[in-house]
Amino acid sequence: MRLGWRTRLHVWLRLLFLQASWSYQRMQGLGFLFALMPGLRKIYPEEKMREVSMRHVGYFNTHPYLAPLVAGAVLKLEEERAINGEDRSIDIDDFKEIVAAPYAAIGDALFWGGLRPLAAGIALFFAVKGIIWAPLIFLVLFNLLPLWFRIVFFEYGYRHGIGSVDYIQQHNLPDWAIRIKEAAVVILGGLCAFLVFSHLVDHQLPSWPGLLTLLPMVLLGLGARRGLSTLLLIFITCASIIIAGIFWVDVASFLKL
Amino acid sequence: MVFQLLIGGMVALICGLDRVAILQILVSRPIVAAPLAGVLLGEPLIGLQIGVMVELLWLARLPVGAAVPPDDTQVAVAATVLSIVLGSQLEGLSTELMLLSLLIALPVGKVGQYFEHRARNYNSILPVRTDQALQDEFFGQVQLLHLRGLLSFAVSSLLTYLTIVVCGLVLIPPIWPWLQISMSYSAGLLQLALPLIGVAVILGTINVSRAITLFCASFGMAFLLMWLVQP
Repeated sequence: MRLGWRTRLHVWLRLLFLQASWSYQRMQGLGFLFALMPGLRKIYPEEKMREVSMRHVGYFNTHPYLAPLVAGAVLKLEEERAINGEDRSIDIDDFKEIVAAPYAAIGDALFWGGLRPLAAGIALFFAVKGIIWAPLIFLVLFNLLPLWFRIVFFEYGYRHGIGSVDYIQQHNLPDWAIRIKEAAVVILGGLCAFLVFSHLVDHQLPSWPGLLTLLPMVLLGLGARRGLSTLLLIFITCASIIIAGIFWVDVASFLKL
Repeated sequence: MVFQLLIGGMVALICGLDRVAILQILVSRPIVAAPLAGVLLGEPLIGLQIGVMVELLWLARLPVGAAVPPDDTQVAVAATVLSIVLGSQLEGLSTELMLLSLLIALPVGKVGQYFEHRARNYNSILPVRTDQALQDEFFGQVQLLHLRGLLSFAVSSLLTYLTIVVCGLVLIPPIWPWLQISMSYSAGLLQLALPLIGVAVILGTINVSRAITLFCASFGMAFLLMWLVQP
């Protein structure tokens, strides 16, 4: 039988809880079964549920925003299997295994590595201007694309089953991830220039030396690339500034400033 | 004070669950979580300032696979709560006190990774029990076991928040008189330095071949444009 929209909505809503029981052993495995259960219950009779559930409770891990695409496709495959009676259990397990890792890599690069810094960079422009709606701007900017992925890809996965893999290929998502990352770097460059320039103007200092900020930033970046932890870089920088502040107290009192 | 800490705990819990366990609509990002705590405690601008400083620090650390990034959510929420609570107890709310709260919260926040590891380890018992429940065909129990995982993530978030807040409440009042003056001289630079360090780390770790070129070009162009239009 074909799943109705209420059941599909139920599965989709449960996918929002996909990682509630995330564990090192099976990662999202239990969450994936939890999400599929309303659909599986409609597809299979009660006596078959144990066997079907056992197949889905194993190891599974992908990007949470692309999991709906996998879930939709898996439901379609289970539906076909129940209708046609053919044994596609190996195909379904293989399908999950084959797509999970590439989808995770695509999602990590696109959403965590690209879209998140881009949205944060734009929202921070508003935040440093003291606009209290900056968090909302971040949430809207970031969530539009993931929400579209979560809704549209789930439906597409359910309609096309294994064919949904072509959909991902057509969209050329890895290229998009690189473009979004490049845009994020440009935005962050503008943001840093604005922060440095505002600081110098606020303190009535000449503005041109601000361009020299690029040097320590590139050095810190190279340090991070060589594996120095962010916390260590924060500690070194902040300790230097605070110690300079302590000496500045002595210098200021000596000069009677 | 207890009421303020409880409100902070509520924000820490909701945002902490969004990090991994549910929704993932990113209310857990410091730019959202800290202002949210600030708004609820009546000081939205303090939350916004802390959000700006923390947001970029660990943005380059991606929650990929089994990797657990530092808990910047609890750092941001706890630093906001500490600033507001201590501001009413010490000599009034100031940028310097906010910065000191944040500088205490940043290293202590490392415990968040430990607690999250423990939560994920604890959740490893759930699939084993699920297998048993499936053997017995207790499907309702399977679903409850999954939702039980939320509990360990909630406890992890709250423990991280509490550890940072308690450390801050114990450490800041005695050291505040010693650091107050030097902080007043370095506050402006510290406020500028933290987001810049975050961006530098992103530059160093982002997988873009011309990241430094693009960044320098963008920085230089924006800076020169502002210099040109400066009255």
